[in-house]
Amino acid sequence: MLNCKVNGKEIKVKQGTLVIDAIKQADYDVAHYCYHPGLSVAGVCRLCMVKIGDNPRLQIACNTPVQEGMEISNEDEQVKDAVKWGLDFHLINHPLDCPICDQAGECELQIQYMKFGQYDPEMAEKKVKKRKVVDLGSKIVLDTERCILCSRCVRFTDEVSKTNELGIFNRGDRSEVGTFEDKPLENDYALNTVDICPVGALTSKDFRFRQRVWYLKNQSTICTGCSTGCNVKVYYNEEGLFRVKPEFNEDINGYWMCDQGRDVYKFVNKDFRLLEAQSVTEGQAEPLSAGKAAQLAGEKLKELTKVNGPESVGVVVTGQYTNEEYESLFDYMVNKLKVKNIYHWVNNSDTMDDFDGLLLRGDKNPNTYGLKEIMKKYSIQTNMSDLEGAIKSNTIKTIVVAGPENQAVYPDFNERASLFSQASNLIWFSAGPVSAATSKHTLVIPTKTYAEKSGTYVNYKGTHQSSHKVTTIVRGALSLSDSVTLMSGESILTKPVGPQKAMKTNFFVNKSGEL
Amino acid sequence: MSIVKKPDWKANWYLIGIFSGLWFTLKTMVINIFNKDKMPTVNYPEEKYEYGPRFKGNHVLTVKKDGSVRCTACMLCATNCPANCITIAAAEHEDPTVEKYPISYEIDILRCVFCGFCEEACPVDAIRMGPEWQTPGLGHQDFHYDIQKLAYRANLKGGVLSRVDDEERHHAGI
Ligand code: SF4
Ligand code: SF4
Ligand code: SF4
Ligand code: SF4
Ligand code: FES
Repeated sequence: MLNCKVNGKEIKVKQGTLVIDAIKQADYDVAHYCYHPGLSVAGVCRLCMVKIGDNPRLQIACNTPVQEGMEISNEDEQVKDAVKWGLDFHLINHPLDCPICDQAGECELQIQYMKFGQYDPEMAEKKVKKRKVVDLGSKIVLDTERCILCSRCVRFTDEVSKTNELGIFNRGDRSEVGTFEDKPLENDYALNTVDICPVGALTSKDFRFRQRVWYLKNQSTICTGCSTGCNVKVYYNEEGLFRVKPEFNEDINGYWMCDQGRDVYKFVNKDFRLLEAQSVTEGQAEPLSAGKAAQLAGEKLKELTKVNGPESVGVVVTGQYTNEEYESLFDYMVNKLKVKNIYHWVNNSDTMDDFDGLLLRGDKNPNTYGLKEIMKKYSIQTNMSDLEGAIKSNTIKTIVVAGPENQAVYPDFNERASLFSQASNLIWFSAGPVSAATSKHTLVIPTKTYAEKSGTYVNYKGTHQSSHKVTTIVRGALSLSDSVTLMSGESILTKPVGPQKAMKTNFFVNKSGEL
Repeated sequence: MSIVKKPDWKANWYLIGIFSGLWFTLKTMVINIFNKDKMPTVNYPEEKYEYGPRFKGNHVLTVKKDGSVRCTACMLCATNCPANCITIAAAEHEDPTVEKYPISYEIDILRCVFCGFCEEACPVDAIRMGPEWQTPGLGHQDFHYDIQKLAYRANLKGGVLSRVDDEERHHAGI
């Protein structure tokens, strides 16, 4: 450990820490663009100026390791002046695009100008014009005029994705970031460059112009796109989810996430959801509330297990639910109904163990591990292929499916659904509509998606991660645990705590009925 | 809050006040009858009063030289609006020099409080409040002003030109 002083505050830092990190550790703001903790040091923006000891010249904080007894200051007048006019240089050729720029509101130029700049520009020359709205493939739009040449994106494609698409071309104030001959930037991690770009030079096509960032709230959660379980932040408002960004977690994903994970929010939004339960009897569809449907399902299962025996019921589970939900489902099925035919629906068994070397895994379920654990706990050993025979030979007459919430990653979805439909009773828990479920008596019950419930997911290496509820999108949907509670005949209504007390403290409640 | 007013001896002489008031009314009436053209009131709706151009009445979306809407869909007006009555949907324009434009821009004029904050927020002089103040309508559908009404209603005669022009800014090196 090394001792150093940041703006007079004594701190201890690890050997090899950079001055910029020491300043952050001491809770001071430091202006910077090019430094990113997940990338190598470039030292090109010259904004992270600090005064060290009484060296007459300022130094950059991002390329200077801390030494014992160092006295660092970034609140010195000299430093402030340097940062301010450094910022002026960055903005000399920057266009007046904020009204149409997606980055506005979270743009480092705006933030740092308000924090460290606030000068009157003294540049009399005309701005250098560069290329705008350059199409970089299906994901990204580049605006070279807005780029401040920090080279973060270039270093990302060199060091992290190792695809080397981006580079900086030309010299001086004609320098432009871009790909060779505008080739598309299509690697699996390309959208990370949009996140790390401190300005609006790289924008995501998916998010472009759909919302202003200041209309969005954010909340940390877990990506359910594959078994890696990256830590992410989802950005949402009352209309639904709009985008996903990675959150730092040293053990799981570092600073990054893959581009497929960024599409995972899509099935959560209302347009792709089942809004109420559906009971289909011989082709006659009838909508009903999820709670009613779950109670109905419970009664039906009770009756059917009594009449045909518990062996006539098959349960199919996918790896897309939380541990808590599995626990309640298995408890209900195994302990209450004595049903032992529980099958694990594996969507893509050939590519299950794929890994691209960085983050993305072939197992497109967030909680396969958790499901396997719980099956072991209840000592269930079944094989999905047995189910087909059992349905065909009519030994299994009733099927309960805890279906995938993200149906897009289940290539065999429709095929399986029509297989399950051959059984005479089908109860399907699903976040999205299931048009292929057409058994004689079908009950489709809407479930909550990962953004609407709290729970634990276990990733590929057994790390338990809890994710928290972000928002409610479909009011009528139930989590699997809630459905199971209703199926077993209990109520999910939470009792109000101390109703009398609430009456007393709330004047208006107390006065109601007196008007 | 309750205000208690103490009885005042002057209140006993109210009749004098009433008669002096009536006398004034009578006097003005007689004067007006014989000097009709000097009367300060107008006979609405046959005669209408025109307010000055700075009056904050109905909104106008200005247009560019080519006649398209000037608005860039930056949402600053909607953000600044205290009544939350501006709804904008942005889209990508096929012309890369325009880039972003509103495919729909609606003001719920019944919720608008005519504060003028939208006008103040707009970076490109795309929205103004004009001197029109008569806004009759038959139902709520007449009070959701869309681009058609805000920019191209008949009495704007093809649209009001914005003071901010992209091309000019480009040539000026901004
Ligand atoms: S990059 Fe930042 S400063 Fe530049 S136009 Fe976009 S929001 Fe404005
Ligand atoms: S595009 Fe963004 S990240 Fe890349 S060099 Fe320019 S400013 Fe930096
Ligand atoms: S690697 Fe997997 S968990 Fe991580 S973002 Fe991509 S899909 Fe999501
Ligand atoms: S502030 Fe002006 S440019 Fe921006 S959305 Fe409103 S009217 Fe359009
Ligand atoms: S952050 Fe240090 S030079 Fe850019």
